[in-house]
Amino acid sequence: MAIVLESLAKIVFMFLLIMGMVPALIWAERKGAAYIQDRTGPNRAGIGGVRLAGLVHPIADVLKLVFKEDVAPTHRHRALYALAPWLVMTVAVSTYAVIPFGDFLTLGGHTYKLVVADLQVGLLYVLAVASLGTYGIVLAGWAANNKFTFLGGIRATAQMISYEINMGLAIMGLMLVFGSLRLTDIVAGQGGLLFGWLPMWGVVLQPLGFALFITSVYAETNRNPFDLPEGESEIVAGYHLEYSSLKFALFFMAEYCHMVVGAAMISALYFGGYQVPWLPRPMLEKHAGLLLQLVLGLTVAASLLFAVLFLRRVQREKGKFGDARDREPVLGAAFWLVVALAAAGAFALRPGDIGAAGASIFASLFQVGAFVGKVVFFAWLFIWVRWTLPRFRYDQLMRLGWKVMLPLGLANLVVTALVVALVGSGK
Amino acid sequence: MEAFLFFACGALMLLGGVMMVLQRSAVVAALWLVFAFIAASGVFAALSAPFLAIMQVLVYAGAIMVLFLFVIMMLQGPVLEGERKRLALPMWPAVAIPPVAVLVLVGGWLANRRADALPAAPEGFGSPGQIATLLLGRYLLAFELISIVLLVAIIGALALGNRERKLPWS
Repeated sequence: MAIVLESLAKIVFMFLLIMGMVPALIWAERKGAAYIQDRTGPNRAGIGGVRLAGLVHPIADVLKLVFKEDVAPTHRHRALYALAPWLVMTVAVSTYAVIPFGDFLTLGGHTYKLVVADLQVGLLYVLAVASLGTYGIVLAGWAANNKFTFLGGIRATAQMISYEINMGLAIMGLMLVFGSLRLTDIVAGQGGLLFGWLPMWGVVLQPLGFALFITSVYAETNRNPFDLPEGESEIVAGYHLEYSSLKFALFFMAEYCHMVVGAAMISALYFGGYQVPWLPRPMLEKHAGLLLQLVLGLTVAASLLFAVLFLRRVQREKGKFGDARDREPVLGAAFWLVVALAAAGAFALRPGDIGAAGASIFASLFQVGAFVGKVVFFAWLFIWVRWTLPRFRYDQLMRLGWKVMLPLGLANLVVTALVVALVGSGK
Repeated sequence: MEAFLFFACGALMLLGGVMMVLQRSAVVAALWLVFAFIAASGVFAALSAPFLAIMQVLVYAGAIMVLFLFVIMMLQGPVLEGERKRLALPMWPAVAIPPVAVLVLVGGWLANRRADALPAAPEGFGSPGQIATLLLGRYLLAFELISIVLLVAIIGALALGNRERKLPWS
């Protein structure tokens, strides 16, 4: 019973983490695109005048998608048309089961491993689930019974099969280096230092493997520059052209879930997962009090800065709009002042000496924070790349996959195997 | 728990197989086959063979069946009308297999209930390391021979598919 509750708690945490990041990423995508293209981006939707620089906009999106009419083509294959979006979404979130989001958490004498399912063959599970992801897209394209969606589905199949091979080859190099298929082992193996100063991350040990892996992940998530299955300029919107309302929303959400999962995989495999560079777990526990004070101090400083910025806006924009929007700077300044006061008040609880149990909990949370921070960065990288690079042509895509990346992946594997045989693995 | 998983997945696998044979649409039949493969991977997982279970999904469901679907869709196109034809092949042998399999499954369940304790799997059974040691040690020759067969098959497929064009070595 206890194990069921424990697993349930972890699953809910992971699910909330992904689902919470989806609207944030949609916002970041719009604002990031606007920033890169020298525009302002969404800044109109608001609740009672509070617009949060467009952060309220995803709520409006959700409301629109929920209440929109569900238009479906008459000549569709009914069962598969309904199955496809569900399949895409399920596959997108189930990879998360094996990714460790922290080391362990000791709570009331119990030690919990911070991973939903610590599979012996975790890396292969990731590959297997990723390979099932093709079905949703192909079926969506086929079941809608439309030439453009069909072309999108066919493109997706060929692309995903081609790049899965490269992804597998890149991961095989990593397997050799860390000598395990278990993701917790791989992340734990990245805690040390190379030559005494360089963090022993996967990207340091497998630079070429990392380049191949990140390219394959971008291709697997169907994000630019690999978004040919959607290819608006050629096949309208590709596989999800005939979907509307919540079914379309599922595809849209699945894309962002894939991004979060891809970012989590990149950070867990090649950037040390929850490991904080130069601050291994014993150090974190030893200096927990100091670090906690540092975190609180930085929170106070940052929220005071935000409060000052909002107060300056209050002064500058007094009565500028003449409606509810004038309230936003006042509310913002008040919010950040309250946060600053709360953080300063926390110093009264003597965060300097939190005891051994408290130090352990703090170290665990700090590592979870490090992992989430890395995931956020790599999710942002997806957006950055999308608005920087143009889309491939289809023959270029295939040439890159089969004639450039496959030989490189094989060479990487052979060289890695030789080095591991001569020098020994990273364990 | 394992026994329950084993029989549940076995039943689902049979269901997938039967449904696959009964479909008229090739695409839907292929999907039921994928369903059967995933259920088969559940059977492997219940038999404490995690590596085999994942490989079943990765290779059969994830790669081979995707290629099958790709080919079916390429040949058939997005049109759904032509699918109401009867299957030309005699289906009787295929229809006879599932009842036998159900009998075997039920018989196995009954036998398992009577002799309730099967020997437990030894430590590390079915782990990737153990399989690798066996494949690249004791069964190395067979393993390498199979890879040669696969290589020959690839070259043969290339030669057959390229009949009109000149091959680099001909």
